[in-house]
This record gives sequence, structure tokens and C-alpha cells, in this order.
Amino acid sequence: MKRGIFTALIMIVFFFASYSISTAIPSFARKYKTSCVTCHYAYPKLNAFGKAFKNNGYRYPQGQDPEMTKEEPVKLGVESYKRVWPDAIWPSDIAGNLPFSAHAIGRIHYGGNFDDPTTATVEEDKLLTFEIPHEFEILFGGTFGDNISYIGEMEWEHESEFAYEFAVQYDFEPELHMKFGSVGIHASPEHLRMTREHYNVVELQSQSGKFRLREGAGAGVEIWGAGNGFGDGGGFTYALGIGNGQNDGDNFDLNNEKDIYGRATLKFGGLSEIGGTVGQEGANSAFYEDNSLRVGGFFHKGTALVDTLNDKYTIMGGDIDWWFDRLNVVVMVMTMNSDFGGKERKSLAYFAEGNYVVYPWLITHARYEVTDKDTDDDTKDPTSSLIPAIIFMVRANVKCSIEYLVPLDKASKDANKGRFTFQFNFAF
Amino acid sequence: MKNYIIIILLLSCFVRFAAFGGDIVGKIKAKGAPNAGNTVIYIDKIEGKTFKPPAKALLMDQKDLTFYPHVLPVLVGTKVEFLNSDNVLHNVFSPDECTGKFNLGSWPKGQKRNFTFNKPCVAVMLCNVHPEMEAWVLAVETPYYTVTDKNGNYTINDVPAGTYTLRVWNEKLKADNVKVTVPDKGNVTQDFLIKK
Repeated sequence: MKRGIFTALIMIVFFFASYSISTAIPSFARKYKTSCVTCHYAYPKLNAFGKAFKNNGYRYPQGQDPEMTKEEPVKLGVESYKRVWPDAIWPSDIAGNLPFSAHAIGRIHYGGNFDDPTTATVEEDKLLTFEIPHEFEILFGGTFGDNISYIGEMEWEHESEFAYEFAVQYDFEPELHMKFGSVGIHASPEHLRMTREHYNVVELQSQSGKFRLREGAGAGVEIWGAGNGFGDGGGFTYALGIGNGQNDGDNFDLNNEKDIYGRATLKFGGLSEIGGTVGQEGANSAFYEDNSLRVGGFFHKGTALVDTLNDKYTIMGGDIDWWFDRLNVVVMVMTMNSDFGGKERKSLAYFAEGNYVVYPWLITHARYEVTDKDTDDDTKDPTSSLIPAIIFMVRANVKCSIEYLVPLDKASKDANKGRFTFQFNFAF
Repeated sequence: MKNYIIIILLLSCFVRFAAFGGDIVGKIKAKGAPNAGNTVIYIDKIEGKTFKPPAKALLMDQKDLTFYPHVLPVLVGTKVEFLNSDNVLHNVFSPDECTGKFNLGSWPKGQKRNFTFNKPCVAVMLCNVHPEMEAWVLAVETPYYTVTDKNGNYTINDVPAGTYTLRVWNEKLKADNVKVTVPDKGNVTQDFLIKK
């Protein structure tokens, strides 16, 4: 019965999502001389305008980007060269200042069973651990003229871990972009999360352990877009992509199989997906409000290679993102079918979270997560947890959070998985 | 008949000269700020005198994520219209008690919302969608006010003869009030130094 309801939910919300590298990029604040909260609910989580900005190819909506750009770009050819084409290079521009930003994260852990993630050996429990710094990122993003935009990051985590990704896209219209580079669905708010704990849906691995949603679809191509809905506000987004799949760190495919994925969403009410202000008058307003309901669905299908065995997996899921005054509720369910060497496994993961803005600088958050790695195996209980958190925006670009991972299933409790984390981030 | 006309003309001239005063002019220097622009100079309340606010509303624009003008002095009772000229939502609110801490909500491009400043007030105007936006409205009790140019020069025109308290307001710097006497005929010069 439960499975029937779940399947029905997925059928109803038959949609897909766009991969997003970005966390929060302060160089945009410099470019437009505007505050982080113009685009962010509490960075990196985007507000409605931030989503519209992204959906316009990292530009102000309604063609208003040139007048809103306060940092004079360097012209790589004047506008009139458009009339000369093909006898000249199409004109463009680049940012007047280097569009780089930095993001740093530090953490203090308190709790049982903390193990150094950078070492293979199991260490004794440490009750209190300072992990400062935890991570440092160089972020970049911007536009080249009217139709090309880019975004990317380089990330150092601890001393030994380095990762990088970027994507460049041609922005035909807000309704159609073609992206090349690091692609994949990030249907969950993983890249925009406000907590230290990752979302369970992105951590769920295929049987071989060679795939999890968190790493996307690797290098590839994606078409995506967004548009306004009927009437005032709301709208749709869609994405469809193909990538090499996850591999061992380079961008070459390990097999001839490609991962494909897609996502679509429908939004009812609130700011239109591509911005604009028609019909948006309200009795009140704030950057963290957007009374609306968005429903979405996604799939990811791919094959990982382990020695000579294929690990074929299919993910399907749906989500709801509801905003009402100061409250935001996100619910997501996801299934994964994994066929590894002829052995099938079905998994289920879901979470529900609530965010409430007490003050624009103080947000309460609670998330409930359940992961059942093998729905047919009744000998192992699903893992579940509760993550209450408080997020403080000390400044628009400086954030602190306090959260506690509360294990709810017996195995996690027995393993002493509960932990308290104080995290601080700053970006500039 | 001719005599009546002459008498009326003479009386008119008398009334004209009796009401005549002059301009208050001056320059403001700033210590602790790049310049003395956007400083308001105004005559404080004149006992026993009230002034009717203008019938037409004054305009404060929101364009390119900026309020224009940055400083707007008005006579108490004046209606101020807030226009959104951007293709993004804007809001206007004020946290100042003297405005009743109004919040006008949000509205799209091309539309206006208004607020009438019924009390003497120095009120900051903010947009809760764009925290970098800021403007000031000064509701004062006489129509004798002006705003300095970026060089700190100012002129308050057509002030009736008399002795007044001249006040200065700047969002960051201060100056003491001074008494000025506007003669029956001619201008008076009053310079200020504003500092922290």
C-alpha cells in the first residue's frame, strides 16, 4: 500500500532537476553592488529571486542586467560588431574585476564516535574535535556578453582532498540553456544546504558503492530551462542531461555507458521562475518569503563499472517545496534500483524538513530522514535520524550554525552516531 | 477711479515690501566625510505659524537598486510617493517611531505606493528585499529648507524677514543650531562645519 502511494506520488510528479555547482558567489554581490540576501534566503540556500537570477543564466531578469551591473565590464568588441558578423568575432564582455570569490568553513564537533574521515584506520572516540579549517573553496561565476555564462569551484577539504568542477552554458533564452561541464541532477537542496549534515538521499549508494547522487553525473551536456506559469507568478523548470557518470577523479569515462538524468518542476504562486514583477504586489515582503508551492520529480539512470561487473542503477523521486510566510517545508522521496552482477536491490530514502525564519538572521531548522537500503530485506531496519539546527546569519556573508544529529534507529544509537556540530562559514 | 487704482498699486507695493525678506545662503564643510552633500538645512518651527503642505505628492524613486533622492526634506503633512522603476520587487519600510514604523509591502515596476508624513520626523527608508538600499525623509515644520549640493553649497530662497533657528541634518555628521536674522531686504550668509 505504502509503495503504491509512493509510486502514485512519483507518477503525479513526473519531473526532473538541474545540477547546480554554486553555493554562493560573492563576486555577484560585487558586480551588482547588492547584498547576498538579494539572492539568498541564508546562503547558500537561494530565495525566489536567486532562483530567477540563476534561471536567467546568472543575469537580472527581464533583460535588466546591463543597467543593474554596477561594475563596468570590459568590452571584447562593441555592440555594432554584431552587424558585421560573420566578418568579425561576435562581441562580448568579461567582468571588470576577476570574478573570483572565496568560501571557508570551519567546524567543531562534539559527540561520540567521531572518526577522522581522512584516515583509513578507526581511531578511538574523540568527544571534542576542532576541525578548523574544514574546507576552503574558490568560487567563480559570471557572464560573457548576452548569451554565455559560467560557474565553477575549486575546493580543498583537509590537506589531501582537492576537487574542482565547472560548467559553461549557452543561454538561448531563460527557457533554453545548453550546459557543458560538470552536470547532474541535484534535486535535493544538497548544494544549497544550511546544515553540516548531508541529505540522506544524496548519500544513498548503489550496491557496488560506486554511485551516489551527491557526485552528479560527471562530465556531460545538459539542456535546461525555466519559464513563467499561467497567470501571475510560478512557472516551470526542466533539465535533461547525459554524462560520463562517476569515476575515479578524472573526466574520462570508465565504460561506454552513459548516465542520463532529468528533472522538472512546476511552481504555483510566488515569484515567477524567471523573475519579473507583474502581479507580484503584496501586503508585505521580505527576501525570505515567497508564498508558493513547487512540486518536482526526477530520474537518474546509469551504469558504474567495478572490475568487469556492471552496476546498473535507476533513481526516481519526487519533491515538494512549500513556502508560506516565514515557513519553508521541503519533502523528498527517492527510490533506487541497483542491479549489480545480476543481483537486484531496491532502496528507498526520504526526508522532510522545516525551516522557520524567527528573525532574518535567525533560522530554525529540523529535518527527519529515513533510509532503507534494501526494502526487501526485513532483517535490517532502516536508518533514521532527526537533525535539529539553528542557523545564525552573523552578517549576510558570515554564518554560524549549531546542529545535533539524533540517531533514531537502534543500530545507529548503538554505534553512538549522535553528534553535535558547531559550524561557521564566511564568504567574500 | 484713477485715484483708486493708484492707491491699490501703492498698497500692493507696500505689502510686497513688508513681506520681503531674502535668501539664506552658505556653505557647509564636513569633517569626517568625503563631502558635505546631501545635508539638509532648514528653519525650525516658527511659533504661532503653521504651513499648509503641498497638494501634490513628492516622489521618491527606486531605480537600479537605489533610492532617488537619497535625502528628501518635506513639509509635515506632505504625501510622498514611492515609485518602483526596477524590474524587481521593491519594498519600503521605516523602523522609525515617528512614522509609526510603516511597511508599504512590495510592488512591481511602474507602480507607486505612498505615505504621508504627518509628524516632524527624521526617518530612514529601507527596502526589505535589498538591504543595501537606504534613503532619508525629513519631515520639517516650515517650508524653508534645502539640501546641499555635493560641494556643500546651499540656498534657502525667499525667507521672510525675521529671526529664526537654523538647523542642520546630515546622516553621519552634526552641527549646532544657530540663530539667523533675515533682514527686510537682502540675503544672509551662514556657513557651518559639520563633524562627528
